[in-house]
Amino acid sequence: MPLVRRPSPPSVPPATPAASLSEGTIDQRWAAARAAASRPGGVALLAAALSQERDPLVLQAIFTGLASAATAESAAAVLPFIRSEEASLRAAALDALRAMPEASRSHIADLLGDPEADVRLLSCELVRSLPEAEANRLLIELLDSEADKNVAAAAVEVLAEIGRREALPVLARCAERFAGEPFLAFSIKVATDRIGDP
Amino acid sequence: MTEPPEVSEEEFRKTCDFLYRRSGMLFTESKRYYVQRRIAERMAALGISSFTTYFAFLRGDVDGEIEKFINAFTVNETYFYREEHQLRCLSSDLLNERVAAKRRGEALRIWSVPCSTGEEPYSIGMWLLENWPDVDVQDIEIVGSDIDTECLTAARQGEFGQRALMRLTPDLVAKYFIPRGKERWRIVEDLRQSVHFTTVNLVNAAETRRHGIFDVIFCRNVLIYFDDTSRRLAAENLFECLAPGGFICLGHAESMSRISPLFDVRRFADAIVYQRPQGGAHD
Repeated sequence: MPLVRRPSPPSVPPATPAASLSEGTIDQRWAAARAAASRPGGVALLAAALSQERDPLVLQAIFTGLASAATAESAAAVLPFIRSEEASLRAAALDALRAMPEASRSHIADLLGDPEADVRLLSCELVRSLPEAEANRLLIELLDSEADKNVAAAAVEVLAEIGRREALPVLARCAERFAGEPFLAFSIKVATDRIGDP
Repeated sequence: MTEPPEVSEEEFRKTCDFLYRRSGMLFTESKRYYVQRRIAERMAALGISSFTTYFAFLRGDVDGEIEKFINAFTVNETYFYREEHQLRCLSSDLLNERVAAKRRGEALRIWSVPCSTGEEPYSIGMWLLENWPDVDVQDIEIVGSDIDTECLTAARQGEFGQRALMRLTPDLVAKYFIPRGKERWRIVEDLRQSVHFTTVNLVNAAETRRHGIFDVIFCRNVLIYFDDTSRRLAAENLFECLAPGGFICLGHAESMSRISPLFDVRRFADAIVYQRPQGGAHD
């Protein structure tokens, strides 16, 4: 039989972590980022590295470390990146915030009121992690004053999944306000039908 | 490993009532964990994170969800040659690519995690012996790992019932199994001895690192049971255990792209798999 069996497989030689997260090879920074998450003071180190690091591999490990810490400090460190110029960073920040729903929770209302439409749009995704009543309240508030059609569409999409009957009036007003946007009218109809006939 | 998302008393009751009305299958409190796992599986397949949302999908039978949900309760055990298309991909594409990237004489390493009661790692061995022309000239190590030590004991024992063998031809059963009483078969000694079984928690980096570097990892139908953070940690641990250019095969309802951007998607004739890019750690 050509299949071989080795009772003691060779371990992965772990890269020696860099002395700090800002120096060394990609391997070393990756190892340092992964090690930092479980060390005292690790969140502060990861938060500091986040604004310096450019390598996507290491950034991923940093975001995961912050998400697994799931503290107010780690959520605060990730938060600014939801308005990054780089789409990949925005998406990574959103994923990290979504992975720590309790730590992110207190920031969601502010994010939904952000002056930047992109931030409001991405934040609609975070609302899904909230208890249903709170999520409905926030989305209803947003939708009643939202001027951007794409943000409104994102909010409607979430309401289509978690919306309660109290969202029906605001959906109707939204349909009137964006009457010239067929895609939004369609989304609102789908959401209204689902909520009205669960 | 983390548990499936907790379902409240009322949600559990709603689900069981619904299931009973639609299928006649009756689940009581003693099956709560089992029901939760099925719900988690379907929610992950749909990319839905809240039970309420999922239940709305189910109740509305969106995209035929009722049938899929019921199927999740009836197709739960594993068996030999499950997702055979991935095994075809292994022998027709993945291993040839990995051999070309390795030093002469260096063994190919394949990891089945979680391996449950051993059907998957033994299937990999059987499939390669039957279908990979280089099997006689290339050393191949197969490691099966699971967090469940009772499963591992059964895997080492290598005894299976008729249902586990349902996809195998009589010729394969005759070649690789020895009858052990009524409707029980045991894997032949050579094959049983060639798979190394270990305990592992995929979320624990120290435990996964102990297993070394692999060329191909089969990690099917487990990440869907994790929460977002655990999924990310597990993906990073698997990434560290893959050689650059190595492959990871997930279950058909799973997508690494939704979990982590660390891997590239590779589309082969028989399967879509994920690949660790060249570069980064282990260079």
